[in-house]
Amino acid sequence: MVKHIQVVAAIVVLASGIVLSAQQQAGRGGGPPQPPPSPQAAAPIDLTGYWVSIVTEDWRWRMVTPPKGDFASVPLNDEGQKLGNAWDPATDGSCLAYGAAGLMRNPTRVHITWENDRTLKLETDAGVQSRRFVFEAPQPPAQRSLQGYSAAEWELVGPGGRGGQGGGGGGRGGGAPAAPRRGNLKVTTTMMSAGWLRKNGVPYSENATLTEYYDRFPAPNGDEWFVVTTIVSDPKYLNQDFVTSTHFKKEADGAKWAPKPCKS
Amino acid sequence: MTRLLLRTCACALLVVAAARPAVAQVDLTGMWAPIFHEDQVERIPGPDVGDYAGLPINDALRMRADSWDASLLTLPEHQCKPHPSTYGFRGVGNLRITAEVDDKTQAIVKLHTHIQWQEQRRDIWMDGRPHPPDYVAHTWQGFSTGQWEGNVLVVKTTHLKAGWIRRNGLLISDQATMTERFIRHGNYLTHIYMIEDPNYLTEPLIKTNGFQLTANPVMQPYPCYPTVEVPREKGDVPHHLPGENPFLEEYANKHHLPLSAVRGGAETALPEFMATAAARDARSGTRDAAPAARTGSAATRNAASATATPADGEVRSLHVQGNVWMLHGGGVNAAVQIGEEGVLVVDTMTAALGEKVVAEIKKLAGDKPIRWIVNTNVDPDHTGGNATVAAAGESIIAGNFVGQAGQAAANFAKVLTHENVEARLVKVQPALPTQALPTDTFFTDEFEMHFNGEAVQFIHVPNAHTDGDVMVFFRKSDVLVTGDAFNTVSFPVIDMEEGGSLNGVVKTLNQILDITVPEDKQEGGTYVIPGHGRLTDEADVVEYRDMMTIIRDRIQNAIEKGMTLEQVKSARLVRDYEGRYGAARGAAAADAFVEAGYRSLKN
Repeated sequence: MVKHIQVVAAIVVLASGIVLSAQQQAGRGGGPPQPPPSPQAAAPIDLTGYWVSIVTEDWRWRMVTPPKGDFASVPLNDEGQKLGNAWDPATDGSCLAYGAAGLMRNPTRVHITWENDRTLKLETDAGVQSRRFVFEAPQPPAQRSLQGYSAAEWELVGPGGRGGQGGGGGGRGGGAPAAPRRGNLKVTTTMMSAGWLRKNGVPYSENATLTEYYDRFPAPNGDEWFVVTTIVSDPKYLNQDFVTSTHFKKEADGAKWAPKPCKS
Repeated sequence: MTRLLLRTCACALLVVAAARPAVAQVDLTGMWAPIFHEDQVERIPGPDVGDYAGLPINDALRMRADSWDASLLTLPEHQCKPHPSTYGFRGVGNLRITAEVDDKTQAIVKLHTHIQWQEQRRDIWMDGRPHPPDYVAHTWQGFSTGQWEGNVLVVKTTHLKAGWIRRNGLLISDQATMTERFIRHGNYLTHIYMIEDPNYLTEPLIKTNGFQLTANPVMQPYPCYPTVEVPREKGDVPHHLPGENPFLEEYANKHHLPLSAVRGGAETALPEFMATAAARDARSGTRDAAPAARTGSAATRNAASATATPADGEVRSLHVQGNVWMLHGGGVNAAVQIGEEGVLVVDTMTAALGEKVVAEIKKLAGDKPIRWIVNTNVDPDHTGGNATVAAAGESIIAGNFVGQAGQAAANFAKVLTHENVEARLVKVQPALPTQALPTDTFFTDEFEMHFNGEAVQFIHVPNAHTDGDVMVFFRKSDVLVTGDAFNTVSFPVIDMEEGGSLNGVVKTLNQILDITVPEDKQEGGTYVIPGHGRLTDEADVVEYRDMMTIIRDRIQNAIEKGMTLEQVKSARLVRDYEGRYGAARGAAAADAFVEAGYRSLKN
């Protein structure tokens, strides 16, 4: 009987090794080492195409320019409120309302394309802005700009992915059907020049950093959506992180694309 | 021995294979604090009356919200309503998510969410169970099932009660469904939800909420005990008559917004809308939007029937509580009370379903004899199975009467009803068999008996559906069977030829509310089995009572203005409820209801 137990134990250990090995190979792609796929090839979600913001939230603060001093929902500190209260309504329409930290809350269409296999380009017709999400980012430029510098990464789930916070993760064993690749896009933007979170001059400073998560998903009726969760950190003008999530619906083409420049 | 060894090895391999990591999941459990950086004004102080901007509402919901009066919330039966899950995640108070795990498999059986305000408690079943059939009771939180798509929890919810999408009178119907996504990014949780409602939304409504993980574990209790805040006439339902809400333009005026924008509709959420809003207002000549065509497209109505009980001629049963089961089949309901003394049957469905009714009772009650049949009204969908069900039963006949009635009388169940029902049953042509006719009647407002260990009250309902309806209340089981005095599928059928009236309908609904007592937060407690439709509780009756009162008041107001029946029909005074209650029996039935209401009020 002892012998049998030993044999079974040996088989279990061996089998464990086989499975683990298969998992590791699956994680690496198997066979001889391969160069990692480009960010475009590795994309777990396809964000390219035309999308339109559907403004079902904060309607009065997004679809029209709110009155001076209306900062509802924004955790401005005293200094931020002071600056916001100094806003000149004559500057309504300024490009400052279309900086990276406030851009995605504008009612707009966005057009997302791969500029090259490591750079996603996001354009808006509202304000006519372009953002570039750079994967495997080199050092950010020395110059600040309205759209800043955006470093991008895929947060993968499943084979080769990160698993998740607090549980699960890892790949599948060999022989199992490949699980669909899932994940989201994370974009960290720095080197922004100062701008507005809203059209009525609600400020963010050049010290602000912007973290975004882009998640794409289907609706039960067949529509395709993405939601961008936006976290603006600005110790100069905000009491706490300003967190919003904004939804965009996929459109078939650019037929409704209507560029409307901002006032520089 | 070799075989044993091989089997053992095979088992060991299976164990190892099964131990492979499952598809990745994220830990959503913990205490989450809501982030109010979106829609803060709407979510905390509350929305303005008349602000529907950005929401894909149809004309029916617009009319309904225009009629809404905030004083409605002072009624005791409205005070403790929690938010439904279609709105609760927008509310105040922390969100606590916990997991219930199967001890043996360590698989998550369900996730449980608890939101502080009004103690919104919700289960999200993760064990792959199907959604229940459409005739079970709806709840504020609905019935939710979840599954992981990568690190995203996707939740589908059905069986919702009617409730807010915005707290200014914008409600979705109880036929709405919701799909949610819970996405965790570090210590932030993004909650995306999409609501589909075939009655009130022209396209799915999508919204998002943000939460932040908090170390503060405090979850305060939230008891609620309704009380009379404003003395009112019994049955008074605050609302604004069509065209008489004086507050609808306040919001637009205060913020200098085009009225065409704040009136809502899917187009108001598009970036290009504001470019044309002023022109829309100018074109309309008035700042109001014109009523649209009859509500609810064919496509959206089809969506609502996706979970409908199949029309397969079967009779299904649902245990309500205590000794009472609901029978559902062919679009009509019956009920049975089962105990040591036998079976009491409330209504017998159609003649065609009689055998199926008996079979289902046998399944539930075994050999216990069917002693009583109670008919709630004369209609053949409630009495058609009398002969078959009675023949399957048996009675206890007093010895003195055996000689008169004959021993054979004991071979049938007794049939009890109000004498007005009997008077019509005996006139049915072709004549019904003897065993289908009442053996016992009462003529008083109430009749009672003690059967199967509980008091059973038979309540005469005069002048509602007909002049002879009966409701049956099982006091210990705390279940009320209403017959056609109440239903959840259509406007009421008011048979004026047989003594029905609109005021009688409203009075009866208030009478039902006098009987029902919710367990907590306007949910559970007394259950109500309607003549048609799903199992309900007090909140569902309140929803229907409010509607009937509002419609009654509109028609009465039109009569007082001197409007003719044709004018009232043209005004479509029930169009905010047509999608929900006018579709089942068709537009002609909706018109017939308005006509019956008009004539009965005129009289």
